[in-house]
Amino acid sequence: MTQFMVDVAVVGLRILLAVYALIIIYQCFASMRRQKRQEAPLVMLYNSTIRKKIPVLCWENLIGRGKGCDIVIEDPTVSRSHCVLLRRKEGWFINDIGSKSGTRVNGRPVHGRHRVTIDDEIKIGSTTLTLRRGEEYDGEMRHHWFFSRVSSKPSVSAPALIFLTNLFHLFMAVEICISYEKFVLEAFEILGAVVLFSWVFYLFSAGVFRRSNFELETLAVLLVGAGSILLVSQDIMDAWIQIIAAMIGAAGYLIMLKFIENPDRIVNWRMAIMIISLVFLGINLAFGRMEFGAANRIYIGGVSVQPSEIVKVAYIFVGASALDHLQTKRNFLEFVVFSALCVGALALMGDFGTALIFFMSFIMISIIRSGDYKTSVLALAGAAFAVVIILKFKPYIAQRFAVWGHALEDPYNAGYQQSGVLTYIASGGLFGVGVGNGILRYYGASETDLVFGIITEEIGLIIALAFAVVLCGLVVYSRAIGTRSRSTFYSISASCAASMMLVQASLNIFGCTDILPLTGVTLPFISAGGSSMLSSFGLLAFIKAADERTYNRSKRLPQR
Amino acid sequence: MKRTMSRSFISLILAAAFLLGLGLLCLRYVKDGDMWANQTYNQHLAFGKGLSGAGKIYDRNGTILAQSVDSQRYYNEDYYTRLATLHTVGDGSYNIATAVQTARRAQLVGHNGIFGYGLPESLRPKGDVSLTLDADVCAEVYEEFAGKKGACMVYNYKTGEVLCMVSTPSYDPQNVPEEIPEGAYLNNAVSSTYSPGSIYKIITTIALMESGADIENMTFTCEGERDFGGDTVTCLEEHGEMDIYQAFAWSCNIAFAEAATTAGAENMQRVSESLGVTKSYLVGSVRTAQGHFDLSDANDNDLAWSGVGQYTNMVSPAYMAILCGAVANSGEARLPHYVQGERSGTTRLMSEETAEKMQDIMRYTVSDYYGDTMFGGLTVGAKTGTAEVGEGKEPNAWMVGYSTDAEYPLAFAVVVEEGGYGFYSAGPIARTAMIGCAQSLGFEG
Ligand SMILES: [Zn+2]
Repeated sequence: MTQFMVDVAVVGLRILLAVYALIIIYQCFASMRRQKRQEAPLVMLYNSTIRKKIPVLCWENLIGRGKGCDIVIEDPTVSRSHCVLLRRKEGWFINDIGSKSGTRVNGRPVHGRHRVTIDDEIKIGSTTLTLRRGEEYDGEMRHHWFFSRVSSKPSVSAPALIFLTNLFHLFMAVEICISYEKFVLEAFEILGAVVLFSWVFYLFSAGVFRRSNFELETLAVLLVGAGSILLVSQDIMDAWIQIIAAMIGAAGYLIMLKFIENPDRIVNWRMAIMIISLVFLGINLAFGRMEFGAANRIYIGGVSVQPSEIVKVAYIFVGASALDHLQTKRNFLEFVVFSALCVGALALMGDFGTALIFFMSFIMISIIRSGDYKTSVLALAGAAFAVVIILKFKPYIAQRFAVWGHALEDPYNAGYQQSGVLTYIASGGLFGVGVGNGILRYYGASETDLVFGIITEEIGLIIALAFAVVLCGLVVYSRAIGTRSRSTFYSISASCAASMMLVQASLNIFGCTDILPLTGVTLPFISAGGSSMLSSFGLLAFIKAADERTYNRSKRLPQR
Repeated sequence: MKRTMSRSFISLILAAAFLLGLGLLCLRYVKDGDMWANQTYNQHLAFGKGLSGAGKIYDRNGTILAQSVDSQRYYNEDYYTRLATLHTVGDGSYNIATAVQTARRAQLVGHNGIFGYGLPESLRPKGDVSLTLDADVCAEVYEEFAGKKGACMVYNYKTGEVLCMVSTPSYDPQNVPEEIPEGAYLNNAVSSTYSPGSIYKIITTIALMESGADIENMTFTCEGERDFGGDTVTCLEEHGEMDIYQAFAWSCNIAFAEAATTAGAENMQRVSESLGVTKSYLVGSVRTAQGHFDLSDANDNDLAWSGVGQYTNMVSPAYMAILCGAVANSGEARLPHYVQGERSGTTRLMSEETAEKMQDIMRYTVSDYYGDTMFGGLTVGAKTGTAEVGEGKEPNAWMVGYSTDAEYPLAFAVVVEEGGYGFYSAGPIARTAMIGCAQSLGFEG
């Protein structure tokens, strides 16, 4: 009878864990949706020719005759993309981006970024726009659907969210204690480290750097903690590396937020970042040793580093730009060359999964920047051709493709990993067999490539899917928050960083479940590996930066 | 800004594609989850961990063939029953593909889509499995084999229920020997093919009918041997002049070599294929081993021998039972199954007219040649076969057939490796199996 009660309690705990994960994730996103955003126009332009008030909603606005412009001026003497009106710390600027008829401020023609102040008259073509205060606008404002439930208070405060997450990790640690008595101490040590990490992260973010909100970070902590605790009975060293990497990653995240605070500073660093990245990849090519069919890591003092992971963050830097720089051809050309070099270097290393991630990001960024679908289709065709060549000369890769979709027909050789994942996913069911009770953890490289399978087997399909949905939710959030970013640099980089993580998650999740070919990439925040953890936090910083309020709280003190 | 944001819509497309992918994964999980879980390498099902809490396996009369008590797996108390049902019940290993402890281990152990194998043993809903077999008949049949290798299958060609399926050699799943007899993992009834010998004359006869020959009025002459395509075909006796009924009952090689020649290679090949010799059929959830019939390299003498079933012909016992079932069931074959609750499909192998003619011929063999006493009064149509396998071995003995009694619609196939003459070696096993299975359905004889 007592055994029966224990069994009921164990199963109850597993069900609770799943329900609980859903609650935390729901609360995080609900809280993000309730955030109060600056909805009133920043300034207003008064078109005295047709007596129209034009609200200026963004920090960077393209003015022109073209339909895609933020401020459309129906005047045949205005160029399609005429000039950019942008806001910086110092105030408002107008920048002519090569219009035919030029731009004048108070009668004088201007070149480059020119400061404008309230009541200045900006003349483009035969239209005169007067800069007025935002408060003078009296038209209707629309809410973005994502933020339709705006409330003055978040539904759950940040400390409460962190506490809920800590509890989730505590339940996971308790599960280890039930299955493995000898790991009790380790489980609680790692749990302690995760809890400590979450609170130190919060104190630094909110206290020292005065960043508003902590939902994004809470979601990251949730995934990092789950991944680390799953590692406890698998490889305790890996679990510690995971936590330490997360701490370094979080520190890097806060520093990066500071670094990209000024979207114009990035332009000056762009070339340096490109060169450093290429040097990194070059070192990798020169010193990388072949492991698991790819030479994508180097050893520095015994520590394994994957340079391509760090270059991912640099890649987003180079790809995104402020609106007025976005329009220059040279900026885009540099990006194309940089992309080709990165993808080429990764292909040479044999790291085709990461090469694919870079390539997908390239397609994405180039579409967002230029809107040119034709070039992208051409690039895709070129890539398809490259894949054919690769398959011809790399039989190891071709073998992966051959087994794709038929893994269970060859469960002992080519389809070994995927069929293992499917079998143990089905063995775990919706609630898992318990942390530490899985079999998949004994498979080679399972803590990185097959980690989705491990999560499903041990804590259940519901949590695994919920974690996947978190990464998908970041993409939706990035786009929603990007509508009010302080610069196109942020909106582009946020969307692309979130998409990059999602592409990576797709390759990981669908690769190990035989829906896509297995390419051996990591699952952001969860897979074991320091480099991967650092890049995940780096990419998250772009999403955080896209939120206009990230940089507001430091000036306007806490608004409750 | 607006342009950038509208173009970044592509990221939402990516997100939608990702969600679709997760949806696909969930769909597959629901559809194939049991199959994923039920893989031989699944350590959650490994011996001790897997069957120690598994459900019971019953035969059609409720006899327990396997059960778990106090985390131990126990099989039927009777030694012969254990050996006779090894290939349908199974042992702790995954070596026997047709055994329910292999094919349905997930169900037995209590796998379900919600908890997977996550439930502790005390909470697991155990899945019991009932077989359609009569374990007592199987045991009797096993004893009748007396150590010879081979297989016997009897099934109800109306419902598809297999009442008897025995494969030898076997071993005791309760005390697994250190040395497993060679071939014991194979269920010979389903997974093995044998040279058919004279039982292939059923197919030759149908090919002759389908070629348009008026078989009712045909006569054959046997002088013990005859030249076909420059080489001889021999017969066991000098049968003299006979019609198709006598030729079939006496199993005259000359007559059927002539039949195959008359039908022609094209018809022999076409009818063999349309009758399903070269196909694989589902018996429950496992597939029969494909038979073999290929005249593409055959000369006229080979064609003649193929009509006698002595060229490169190969058939599985299960297929022969299915074919006999189709003859008895007006040409429509009901596929067999041996787990209760499974439903079997049907497939038409021949026309009703052909089936009826074939019934007359096969019935004549028993009624006028072997005598009905052999099957205790059941209305049986049958064919024996003695298949030479060469290399100084005794021939394989076959007997296949069916009963047409409305209450006992049974088809059977028996093969005894190196059994010698079909009638003497396979006959008694067929008799035991058929009478036993009919009794299981209420027959008193
Ligand atoms: Zn003869």
